Amino acid sequence: MILALIAIAALLLPLPFLGVAPNRLLPGEGVSALDAAGFWVAVPVVLLALGAWRRLPGWAGAAAAALGVVAVLGLAGAAANDRLADLAPAARASFGAGFWVAIVAGLSLVAMRGAWMGLAVAVGAAVLWAMGGLDRLSLVVEATARADALQSAIWTHLALAGAALALALLVAVPLAWAGFRRPRLGAVMGAALSGVQVVPAIALFALLIPLLAALLRAVPALRDLGLGAVGWLPAVLATAAYLALPLWRSLSGGLASADPAAVQAAEAMGMTEGRILAEVRLPLALPVFAGGLRVAVVQAIGLVTLGGLVGAGGLGAVVFEGLSQFATDLMLLGALPILLLALAADTLARAAENRLARPA
Amino acid sequence: MIAQPVIAIEGVTVRFGTTDALRDVTLHVKAGEFCALVGPSGSGKSTLMRLVNRLVVPSAGQVRVRGQDVATLPAPALRRSIGYAMQSVGLFPHRTVAENIGTVPRLLGWDAPRIARRVEELLALLRLDPAMGVRLPRALSGGQAQRVGIARALAADPDILLMDEPFGAVDPITRRELRAETRRIHAETGKTILLVTHDPEEALELASHVVVLRDGRIEADGAPADLVAPDAAPFVRELLGGGQPGLRWLSLLPARGALDPRPAPVGAAMLARNASLADALSVLAESGDEALGMEGEKGSVRAEGILGARR
Repeated sequence: MILALIAIAALLLPLPFLGVAPNRLLPGEGVSALDAAGFWVAVPVVLLALGAWRRLPGWAGAAAAALGVVAVLGLAGAAANDRLADLAPAARASFGAGFWVAIVAGLSLVAMRGAWMGLAVAVGAAVLWAMGGLDRLSLVVEATARADALQSAIWTHLALAGAALALALLVAVPLAWAGFRRPRLGAVMGAALSGVQVVPAIALFALLIPLLAALLRAVPALRDLGLGAVGWLPAVLATAAYLALPLWRSLSGGLASADPAAVQAAEAMGMTEGRILAEVRLPLALPVFAGGLRVAVVQAIGLVTLGGLVGAGGLGAVVFEGLSQFATDLMLLGALPILLLALAADTLARAAENRLARPA
Repeated sequence: MIAQPVIAIEGVTVRFGTTDALRDVTLHVKAGEFCALVGPSGSGKSTLMRLVNRLVVPSAGQVRVRGQDVATLPAPALRRSIGYAMQSVGLFPHRTVAENIGTVPRLLGWDAPRIARRVEELLALLRLDPAMGVRLPRALSGGQAQRVGIARALAADPDILLMDEPFGAVDPITRRELRAETRRIHAETGKTILLVTHDPEEALELASHVVVLRDGRIEADGAPADLVAPDAAPFVRELLGGGQPGLRWLSLLPARGALDPRPAPVGAAMLARNASLADALSVLAESGDEALGMEGEKGSVRAEGILGARR
């Protein structure tokens, strides 16, 4: 209810809905939703109000809210087409505060009434894009101009996150096993891995560069293996250092979660240590471990962004390029895919986790 | 030929850190015996039992099972040949009842149809619903879980069954049922059973051979009636006697042993052939008669005969 009110207020109040500027670097002149779209504003307003109407069943409310969000986007696209029609090609139309408030409040409403309707929003946005309804929006212009670079940045981003996750697993699995067998050692590991979390991520990424440079000077043979003090290596190492804690902690917790009586019974029935691990400890640890893995995957996608600072590329490089040029749309072009990737990874991992937690 | 004890514990000491859990303990259990280990907590009874399947390794002395020194046998193979049931049951929570019961047969490499047949047999033996096989342990009551635990211990038809307080965590009615079940299984299968319990009544009721432990030593080792007899050691009599050691002793002696050649008076109450002296005393107290008859016997059972057990 309150979400719909916020979204509607953002559309009706004289807030900047769209910013129109002569080129991508100059600040734009704000245009409110009413000025930009006229009476068409009524379409999203009615849809969002319907989305909040309690008499409607959840799916219908979610569908109305989803259509409302798509309508807001459509209005912005149409207004951009309209306003820039007579201006030079360098002119830009970017999203303003009113647009963001309406979109975020509208999406929250969708999420509350039926999250799966988020798919309808994605489909609606794709249709608008395909029909050219969004062509003059600065974000779309930016994305079209950099389509190839953006695509390769997404793949680099995923590769970096995957490599960091693999490395962290490679470290966390044996450490968790050793710590499980020797609890005192485990306590030391916990303290060390938690210590890493205290270091600010940016500092750790930066710190690795001189450390790696010194290492490569000392052992030049490493350079022949394609390792460098800047680039993917510090990004993967630093990200892995952060991921090690959630992975290690969930593995240790999972291993310890096995009912001691079940383990004892397995031993008394003549299972070897290896079989007890495979047949009792690991199956019982899996649901706990899945939770840690999900946290780590989402963190990996987020943290690898900082790799943009140390020359590793990926979507972080796009965000930081936007920051250095103060080009909001470029920042968004990097940040939105990161957000979507993280959300997608979280949703997939959560589904897998629920499957594991449910008894066979 | 002298029968070899199936379990022989010879001069065993078990040291945990600086304390001795068992001190120079020797115990022989013959094939087919139902042997109960009783004693207060911390007396070493569980440790003594766990020597048999090498869950505990002696610091000194030797443990022989079926004539072989267990130190020379691979532990997994030894354990697969001995059934094990315990108070906390320890069913695998992620496996069905049938999978739990079939654990040891699977470890032994039986084929699937044979395991399935055996699981069916065991569900019947423990009087469990055959449909229970597909359930997960969390869906079972405490008594059912305990029955499944015992079925799992019996799965590969071991000749030796170790039971570590298997009836400790269930309600009194279920406990009585499980005891009766265990006695029946022992009678039907003739397995050697080693039972750890802190309940003296349970030990006296079930076992043919009772071992009393205190502070890591064996205090007494013998037939139940001998351990509560008036000449038994005071600690043992006190532990097993339950406040009325004399009555408990009479409950362990057969009434047939006190038969008097004089015939029973006409109309006297009749005792069953397997009645104990305590049963006879109880009937005498209720009827007020001087003498009782016994089914299939000519003589009578008289108060002086019952109380003459001492002589």
